[in-house]
Amino acid sequence: MSTNELTLTPGNALDVAKGKLVVAPTQSLGAVRRPVNTTGWREWLFTVDHKKLGIMYGTVAFVFFIIGGVEALFIRLQLALPDGRILSADKYNQMFTMHATTMIFLFAMPMAAAFANYFLPLQIGARDVAFPRLNALSFWLFLTGGLILNASWFLGGAADGGWFMYAPNSGPVFSPSNGVDFWILGLQIAGIASLIGSINLIVTVLNMRAPGMTLMKMPVFTWMILVVQFLLVFSLPVITVALVLLMFQRSYGATFFDVSQGADPLLWQHLFWIFGHPEVYVLILPAFGIISEVLPTFSRKPLFGYPFVVFSGASIGLVGFGVWAHHMFASGLGPVSVAVFSMATMAIAIPTGVKIFNWILTMWGGKIWYSAAMKFAIGLVILFTIGGLSGVTHAVAPSDTQQTDTYYIVAHFHYVLFGGMVFGLFSGFYYWWPKVFGKMLNEKLGSWNFWFMVIGMNLTFGPMHILGLQGQPRRMYVWTEARGGEGLFNFGFWNMVSSIGSFVLAVGVLFFIINVIKTTRNPERAPLDPWDARTLEWITTSPPKVHNFDRIPVVHHLDEFFHRKYVEDEVTHTMKQVATGEELVRAEEAAADADIHMPGPSYWPLLLSIGMGVLGMGVIYGTPIMVVGGLIVLFSSYGWVLEPSVPDAIDFDTPSTDGHTKEIAPLG
Amino acid sequence: MSHSVSPHTSEKAMDIVNNVKASSHRIRNSIATIFGVVALAGCATNAPQDTWQPKGDNAQIINNLQWIVFPMAGVVGVLVFALAAYTFWKFTDRGQPIPSQSHGKPIVEIILTIIPALILTVVGVFTFRGIFELAETKDTEMIINVTGQQWWWEYDYPAQEDQGITQPIISSGQLVIPVGTKILLRETSRDVIHSYWIPALNGKKDAVPGRINLLRLQADKPGIFAGQCTEFCGLSHANMRMEAVALSKEDFAKWVANQQKAYTPPADGTLAKEGEGVFLNQCIRCHQVNGLKKADGTPAIAAPDENVYSGAAPNLSHLMSRNTFAGAIFDLLNKKCRSDVWNASSETIGEKYLAGVSESCLNANDLRGWLRNAPAMKPMYADPTKLVKSGGKYRGMPNLGLTETDIDKLVAYLLTLK
Repeated sequence: MSTNELTLTPGNALDVAKGKLVVAPTQSLGAVRRPVNTTGWREWLFTVDHKKLGIMYGTVAFVFFIIGGVEALFIRLQLALPDGRILSADKYNQMFTMHATTMIFLFAMPMAAAFANYFLPLQIGARDVAFPRLNALSFWLFLTGGLILNASWFLGGAADGGWFMYAPNSGPVFSPSNGVDFWILGLQIAGIASLIGSINLIVTVLNMRAPGMTLMKMPVFTWMILVVQFLLVFSLPVITVALVLLMFQRSYGATFFDVSQGADPLLWQHLFWIFGHPEVYVLILPAFGIISEVLPTFSRKPLFGYPFVVFSGASIGLVGFGVWAHHMFASGLGPVSVAVFSMATMAIAIPTGVKIFNWILTMWGGKIWYSAAMKFAIGLVILFTIGGLSGVTHAVAPSDTQQTDTYYIVAHFHYVLFGGMVFGLFSGFYYWWPKVFGKMLNEKLGSWNFWFMVIGMNLTFGPMHILGLQGQPRRMYVWTEARGGEGLFNFGFWNMVSSIGSFVLAVGVLFFIINVIKTTRNPERAPLDPWDARTLEWITTSPPKVHNFDRIPVVHHLDEFFHRKYVEDEVTHTMKQVATGEELVRAEEAAADADIHMPGPSYWPLLLSIGMGVLGMGVIYGTPIMVVGGLIVLFSSYGWVLEPSVPDAIDFDTPSTDGHTKEIAPLG
Repeated sequence: MSHSVSPHTSEKAMDIVNNVKASSHRIRNSIATIFGVVALAGCATNAPQDTWQPKGDNAQIINNLQWIVFPMAGVVGVLVFALAAYTFWKFTDRGQPIPSQSHGKPIVEIILTIIPALILTVVGVFTFRGIFELAETKDTEMIINVTGQQWWWEYDYPAQEDQGITQPIISSGQLVIPVGTKILLRETSRDVIHSYWIPALNGKKDAVPGRINLLRLQADKPGIFAGQCTEFCGLSHANMRMEAVALSKEDFAKWVANQQKAYTPPADGTLAKEGEGVFLNQCIRCHQVNGLKKADGTPAIAAPDENVYSGAAPNLSHLMSRNTFAGAIFDLLNKKCRSDVWNASSETIGEKYLAGVSESCLNANDLRGWLRNAPAMKPMYADPTKLVKSGGKYRGMPNLGLTETDIDKLVAYLLTLK
């Protein structure tokens, strides 16, 4: 049949690309209907498009970033002066618990998921992820988990046991409010989201790379995301076990962590940190991936030592599973265990160091363009190095017994996570904004954004090194002048500096928000290749069409896009431009594939997530609610399974006629 | 290394120790001039929980390691930043052509892998030794059982004839130890996990319910060393402090003698005697005073396990020999008397500490406030609506609803508990 015979139903939001058709369901048939006519809000609620889901992940995660940030500002307000009175002990404990929980589970992980969702298929030349409906389910479950976690503020108080939720302090007697229950259920549901997402992305990377893209031609961002998904697959089940045990203890009278029944509270610590330490790398590796794209682009050089960066990332992931007990050096493990974990922790510094050297050597000999994205990437290199070096000081276990649970640790991991991860994510915002929204973020505001954040961050977390080494413990709702020392630079001084710094930091983030608003209102479109970029996501329009690529690119090089633009002069060894990015995109459009098959939207991911949320509430509020939730979950599961994959014969993909492998996006 | 020398040596040996220390100090000081001066200039002076001011052998072992790893980290940091800064400056886009697309040199990678590995091996060797040195318990000279409970510490000295402790002593808040003695704390907890930390004497060790964790302490000179519970232990975690008081061996013997002294009831007809009555009526439900008798002459036995979820309340025998109360967050001494003790030289501190709390030195304000309404001064689960899950038992001292007259009487009585 000729393509001209096919017609799209009016109102179908899917694209028509240059005379070729994007094939999508046009009628909803079958036992359980499939949404076909999706516009407006339905377009977002029922979407299975990885790009829309990526934007939704990013938006929701950013909202949680603001919530977590406001919680942090409350903490700093309380600690600005000795014997702070802004928060009660109870509220403060909830505040620091939720600050960490929100930043880790509701901002950092989903923001990385946002980048992974959006760019991973684009970077490997795929039209979507392997399981688009599961992808939507991941997002809706994450949102459900996040809402449950934060609902606790209004339903009797949030969790108050710290994000590590050590037993037995998390038990029903020691934490009598429902906060911990909300925390357990929220994290379990968000955990399912991450687990599903990780399997989805692993399959996507392993099965759906463009022809010619071997693993060692894969962009480093995609590599780091792949490593992270393996970390998630192996570590999330561990925390899930711990959470389920704790749920049964709190809600159904089990005694897994009840010392009076013979439990050993260190069991929780082991389970938590077997998850918790790989989790640290889950947080940082995506940022490493982002700057491994940004640094080469703005240095106009390939990443120095690509295989070393990839393998150091993988070995960080692997060794990351063998260092969990360094969170427990003071818990009485015995000298042999302490020595082993101390040495393993030092060992992990080596691949991390390799990465830092490689980033600097990437810039070495380059032609550096200090764009906002580049500034944030460089910020990561410097600030993460500080955090890494302070990390080595507590790999020395005896030294750690002085530092652990003091502000020195708070300083360390904020240099790693804020200076490292958050700066990496902001670098990604500036780098990929034109790709996602077709508009350039303002570079000048970006510069203000960067400098306020870098100064604010150092003012906030720098003094914490001194406070910690001079003995200020963390997780205390007040600090006392009696332990604050004398002289100008006493605890009062540094706590005040830190609190002021936190507001400078907040202003920095505000510049970003202003920048986003300004950019959104600005009608000016971004050029197709604003950074002279290197990877496949730039070989299509900005924002990419619903099917990503008009023609699936065939890959010959690492940094394929760059090598299509430039060739090396055989004699002078200088790079000669042979095409612009714009020309390459137009060439792809001209050679677009016929009959591109894309998955249709679905009701079930959203409905299943709502069911999971109701089910979770039932654990707290009683069996009837649980039954309702269970029924919704059951109904949606059947709906999911029985959903017709494509409603009509004309929507089936026709075989490729030009000899190329056709990219198939399997359904759900 | 100084810590390998027994503290039970003669003066002469101590001199050698000091010489060794002095020379290692000299080396350290010279490192400090290049590495630490700027950083240290930004620090508070006399911060009581400073982790860089060791006052005993165990903390010294840690400090020696810190003086290896921190300068190394500092030097590496400076080199990396110098390299980075030079790169940023040198390779800024000044219109140079797009560079050759070099993918790196394996030999550079290998060198840059080996160098950090070597540095870390050096650090690792010292760390390894430090870990096992700090875990050594065979040379223990004195044992003290330490129990954490929300939100205070209890000390239980088992009878140890060779240390002059002929009958067990129970105290709380302030840990009193003799100088130059290898003390082993046997830590546990009655409820959640706490962590015992006196930075001047050693790193921290968690007090885990159902387990006994060991922590060595030793103080070189008499003095008071501040500490704080450092494992998050719930609502009032911030209000769980402790202090270690190191006394000379002679002063420690005096302290022990005082702790073992029999109970002296207040004289009949005094306000304190009326206070004893109030105590027997109210406080005895949870707080023991050793030797206290009821009006009928039978021993008055506290039953904290019936009223307190975690099972104990501070033993108040010889309360006024301590300087703090309620998890060491309030001073029993008023400001002036407290600073007298804290600022005393190591020669005079023993005498000042052993003087205890006299009426003129008493911080009556906080003590009376505590007796009036304890939960208002320290967050605790004393609210009956929150006690459902603990079976009606308190988690902290409740508001007893005492009258001002009762409080007068009780304060007078407590002052007799020297």
